Amino acid sequence: MFRRVLIANRGEIAQRIIRACRELSIETVAVYSTADEGAIYLRQADETICIGPGPSAKSYLSIPAIIAAAEVADADAIHPGYGFLSENEHFAEVCRACKIHFIGPEPETIAKLGDKVAARELAHAAGVPIVPGSDGPVEDEQEAMAVAQQIGFPVMIKAAAGGGGRGMRIARNEPSLVTGYHAAKSEAQAAFGDGTVYLEKFVENPRHIEVQILADKYGNIVHLGERDCSIQRRHQKLVEESPSPSLTPELRARICESAVKVARQANYTNAGTVEFLLARDGSYYFIEVNARIQVEHPVTELVTGIDLIQQQLRIAAGEKLGFTQSQIEFRGHAIECRINAEDPEKDFQPSPGKIELFVPPGGPGVRLDSHCYSGYRIPPNYDSMIGKLLVHRPRRDLAIKTMLRALDEFVIEGVKTTIPLQRSVLSHSDFRAGDHDTGFVERYYGHHPAIPTSGDSR
Amino acid sequence: MDLKLIQRLIAMMKRAGVAELDVEDPATGLKVRVVREGAPGTSTAPVVHVLQGGGPGPAHYGYAPAPFGGALVAPTEAAKPAQAGTPFQSPMVGTFYRSASPEAEPFASVGLRVGPETTICIIEAMKVMNEIKAETSGVITAVLAESGEPVEFGQPLFLIES
Repeated sequence: MFRRVLIANRGEIAQRIIRACRELSIETVAVYSTADEGAIYLRQADETICIGPGPSAKSYLSIPAIIAAAEVADADAIHPGYGFLSENEHFAEVCRACKIHFIGPEPETIAKLGDKVAARELAHAAGVPIVPGSDGPVEDEQEAMAVAQQIGFPVMIKAAAGGGGRGMRIARNEPSLVTGYHAAKSEAQAAFGDGTVYLEKFVENPRHIEVQILADKYGNIVHLGERDCSIQRRHQKLVEESPSPSLTPELRARICESAVKVARQANYTNAGTVEFLLARDGSYYFIEVNARIQVEHPVTELVTGIDLIQQQLRIAAGEKLGFTQSQIEFRGHAIECRINAEDPEKDFQPSPGKIELFVPPGGPGVRLDSHCYSGYRIPPNYDSMIGKLLVHRPRRDLAIKTMLRALDEFVIEGVKTTIPLQRSVLSHSDFRAGDHDTGFVERYYGHHPAIPTSGDSR
Repeated sequence: MDLKLIQRLIAMMKRAGVAELDVEDPATGLKVRVVREGAPGTSTAPVVHVLQGGGPGPAHYGYAPAPFGGALVAPTEAAKPAQAGTPFQSPMVGTFYRSASPEAEPFASVGLRVGPETTICIIEAMKVMNEIKAETSGVITAVLAESGEPVEFGQPLFLIES
């Protein structure tokens, strides 16, 4: 096992990794920018090193600063967390060249899965359903038109190097395909320096199902069930849960098996997530692989009892998986609400600033992963996450009740938060019935995002 | 003595349930005793006594690896009485070198008059030797880091009096 791990991240995930390391008796080195100076989670690390100023480009995204810190701190491994450098194949390569273990997949795997066209081809080769579309980049308008006519409108034009909704256009007819094609291409060129786009069928209001994978370096691959992340706002997940209320046992088995096939085809190692779109008719399509630990990983930890960060460390250190697929048991229902410092009345603008009062919820079935506290100042430089509130109960209806109770208990004063929205979502009849999809938030909160809880049967 | 080092000592003591800790640096004669008041096992805030030596030196601290939480590389020149001047802070994390090679003369010593373009040290990061310029005019009044010592972003390396 590693002796000393450097954590190339900040906030709640840095704290989460410190917790896992301490339970494994691994020393931790926390790096931080001047914007995070004095944050209390840093005290939990065995050593802290300031790596740069507030802007991430000069601190948490600076490969030289992080590698230099790992070298002076004599760390034998780096955990990248999520975001920042977690899926940067160049960073993983530099780690390898510097003889520092990168806690994640090999750089070649990250590169392959980071290219959406290549990832799609890989899934197809593994015999996993993909959204019908062009068999690779679309070279010109005529080709786009031919593909669209073959697969049928509506279609989505996507940047090969894209992410976060950039370089993405929906076309419902031929004229909008022509304008959308050129718009997506130039947007992709500007945003990613790569104007390559491809075309796929647009699945209307699907559900977002993702499968957690663990793979060791000896070819052992298991899945840890699915997470349903259908409650999203502009591709930002708000609520995640496991198991998904929309999967039958038969469909669950197929989708999880598909995820394992993709991981095997990619020679995947460490923790990863295979994302799928699930259509109303039960057909599902591979979207992409997230080659990192994800924000919502605790949902899976609660239902399986497996500590995913500890597994990441063990796998990266060369241990074999300590369990087989049949030994993984799924218990109860887990829900996560992301509590962000955002102002629902101002179109969810980040609301950084000082948290005057912070009283976390607790009690049976409640877990809170947060680095915040009364007096903590949320820096404006990074994402607005305050924490992740999770519940684990024997059944979904009970989990919803516990979550509503925990959201009520949660006191955060000084900044605006998504708590009122979360309460409203959890109280909504569509959500309670498990009948929601990725269009839920836009449909019900698109024009009045600040809808308070309706007094609906809490 | 560096506040961060003391904080870490306190954290280590709390974790290990240690009630009293003496830290001594033979190079400077700096001695610090950290005592957690009250019965062992309680979480009363520790009290830090500087027994001798030291003085209000600038923040300074090294990262040599040690079995638990780093070695106590204590200040050398930093232990001298406070000097006049503005701290020159490290622009990056890396290993600090005062000269271009172990045999060469230091770029900057106390008394040297520097200009904005004067190279005052080298910081190595990822095998790259970065020449660090003074970016101001003045006289070096103190050298706060030792050659070969790891430094972090924002750590004071020199005092420069303009």
